[in-house]
Amino acid sequence: MMRSLENELKECARKLLTEKKVDLIIGYSKSPLPLRSTPCFIREEKDVDSLIFDLTCSNNLATYLQKSKCAEHRKPNTDPTVRMENRCKIGIIAKACDARSIVQLILEKQVKKEDITVIGIACTGILDLKKVSDRLNGKEILNYNPQDDEVLFEGKDFKKALKLSDILCDSCKTCLNPDPSVYDSFIGEPVSGAKTEKQEPMTELENLSFGERWEYFEHEISKCIRCYACRNACPLCYCEECVVDRTNPQWFGKSTEFSDTFTFHITRMLDTAGRCVGCGACIRACPTHVDLAPLGIKIEKEIKERFGYTAGLSLDATPPMATFNEDDKEEFIM
Amino acid sequence: MAAFKIKKKRLKELIDSLTKEYRVFIPVESDGVSSFKEVTSDSHLPTINSHNTDRPPKEIFFPQTETLFTYKEGKISPPEQPNTKYRTPNTDKIAIFGASPCDVKSFSLLDRLFGMERNVAKCSGYKDAYWINRRTNALIFTIGCNYPLSTCFCNWLNGGPFTKEGSDLLLTDIGEDFLVEPCSQNGEEFIKTKGLPIQKAAKVDIKRASTVRKEAESTLSEPVDITSLKEGLDTLWDNPVWNEIAYKCLSCAACSYLCPTCYCFDIQDERAGNARGKRIRVWDSCMFSLFTKEASGHNPRPSSKERMRQRIMHKFNYFVENLGDFGCVGCGRCIRSCPVNMDIREVINTIKNVKLTISNEK
Ligand code: SF4
Ligand code: SF4
Ligand code: SF4
Ligand code: SF4
Ligand code: SF4
Repeated sequence: MMRSLENELKECARKLLTEKKVDLIIGYSKSPLPLRSTPCFIREEKDVDSLIFDLTCSNNLATYLQKSKCAEHRKPNTDPTVRMENRCKIGIIAKACDARSIVQLILEKQVKKEDITVIGIACTGILDLKKVSDRLNGKEILNYNPQDDEVLFEGKDFKKALKLSDILCDSCKTCLNPDPSVYDSFIGEPVSGAKTEKQEPMTELENLSFGERWEYFEHEISKCIRCYACRNACPLCYCEECVVDRTNPQWFGKSTEFSDTFTFHITRMLDTAGRCVGCGACIRACPTHVDLAPLGIKIEKEIKERFGYTAGLSLDATPPMATFNEDDKEEFIM
Repeated sequence: MAAFKIKKKRLKELIDSLTKEYRVFIPVESDGVSSFKEVTSDSHLPTINSHNTDRPPKEIFFPQTETLFTYKEGKISPPEQPNTKYRTPNTDKIAIFGASPCDVKSFSLLDRLFGMERNVAKCSGYKDAYWINRRTNALIFTIGCNYPLSTCFCNWLNGGPFTKEGSDLLLTDIGEDFLVEPCSQNGEEFIKTKGLPIQKAAKVDIKRASTVRKEAESTLSEPVDITSLKEGLDTLWDNPVWNEIAYKCLSCAACSYLCPTCYCFDIQDERAGNARGKRIRVWDSCMFSLFTKEASGHNPRPSSKERMRQRIMHKFNYFVENLGDFGCVGCGRCIRSCPVNMDIREVINTIKNVKLTISNEK
């Protein structure tokens, strides 16, 4: 099944390139590590065959659309003096959550819809490598083989099948909008109709006491080494100068003292409030497994209740932070 | 040198006896991340995975955040409550138990940089009191790697799963026992300590160890020849290949913060009210755009291309030039931890190929 999905994907990409609809395709290709894929940038038809799509395509490629992370040859897109016809046209492969972040980027005027061709792809979830590793006692995996609702893992001296539903990312297990909200081409069969085990996002945080919540934050945040992989992997952290990088004035301490790290995380959570699409790319990027998703989910829920908004679902919506409504709740404003 | 052995069951005794004289650090796994932690009275045995920890042990000698001094109304004093994690640099002797050979090699590379007295042709000439204070009298127990990971490539870099550079004692897992070989004067001295739970190794133990080693070495991939990598890099400064390599890089510091040989730092003053505060040193990374941003706002390394070039040049060119060896020990951490799966082995190969293409064209 994966194979034909990949064939469809390659054909679509080839067509876009030959018809000169796009100059560049951002997708995934195989990586030397068995359970990982790596972002790839395809400009020529002959390279299209390196495209893949499977359980390991964990990056949110929309992060490469941003100005602040813009590599050299996409610069023209961010230069207002460059005429439309000279801008680099980008085809980007997007899972549902990635497509949502692209919608946010368009709504927030970070990219122009005309510059982008979204290749939406049917996604049934991405592997959570920590869950896999925990279940295999940290043993190195050299090969894997997905089979229906199981995945067979192989290492030097073991073979073990794990249930797919046990090793998908939390963000995938709770994904309520598994089909891309916006796309120009769609690869595969829509997932929404299919039998899935999606659940309401857990809001376990709500059930904790203040003390327990604090414990949870302390535990997660004290693992952070401030490498900013989370921020840089996030498609919606695009400030040209991140507030933690400001030097004049310098708002943030640079150490890994708890208060400094804590401030960084809380600021990032607030900055992405109402914009975060819950793709989980930040969590997967983290080398020390810091996971603040429950807080993100809580914020998303809060925004929905207050402003009736869920990030990235429609190009016609107005993001709550970009508008004002007389009926907005403001019980905390004195 | 004579070889000894210790029963695995008695490791705890050895570690306990070490704690009488040393602050002992062992590999411990917590929440899916392994790192070196100090042995406390309720510690268990080290997590011996036979591969390197997720976080390298460099933080024992070179903590991510270090208070250099505190100041108050013009008076400077040494840090009162220095590092909560790593206490005063010069009061305690440090022992590390269970580091892998690549990490131990990284200590000796950083020794050249931070000015530990060592008999090497090239060193920086700079002396870093913080590093030296912790490193002096440190005792390093290395455990060789019976099962190298697929990301290990120490064998490209004059290393190997059982090399001794930087070790005081090398342990080899031979089943029920570890073979223990002292490989420095400190190691020799230590082994003479009375009452250690060790015994002389028999011929069969030594033979067993050599079989284990051969097996381990054979599982590593064929080393790529990088002897002329430095010279190759000399000619590649302006090459467009850097663009290609760096394209997917997100400019984070996962690779450098988890690298055992990356040592860049920043110095910061943290004010705590009027005329009071502390000066700290914190890790920094050449992969951050802020790293070279100048006060004027100009940034000589504006994109991931220049930053990636710096990282690779530093490890495989400047390091060789200044300190006489590659600034990479092949531990594979950057490969495992990169969010976009940058593989430094591929980078090396790409560079080698460009170099070949250029010389063929000539
Ligand atoms: S904060 Fe994390 S989950 Fe939210 S959009 Fe960014 S990467 Fe995705
Ligand atoms: S990726 Fe993880 S360790 Fe790095 S800054 Fe983010 S939370 Fe901290
Ligand atoms: S970890 Fe990867 S993405 Fe981050 S700076 Fe290093 S190479 Fe770039
Ligand atoms: S560059 Fe990568 S492989 Fe080399 S020592 Fe650093 S982390 Fe290890
Ligand atoms: S790189 Fe070599 S020394 Fe380091 S853990 Fe792997 S096999 Fe051991």
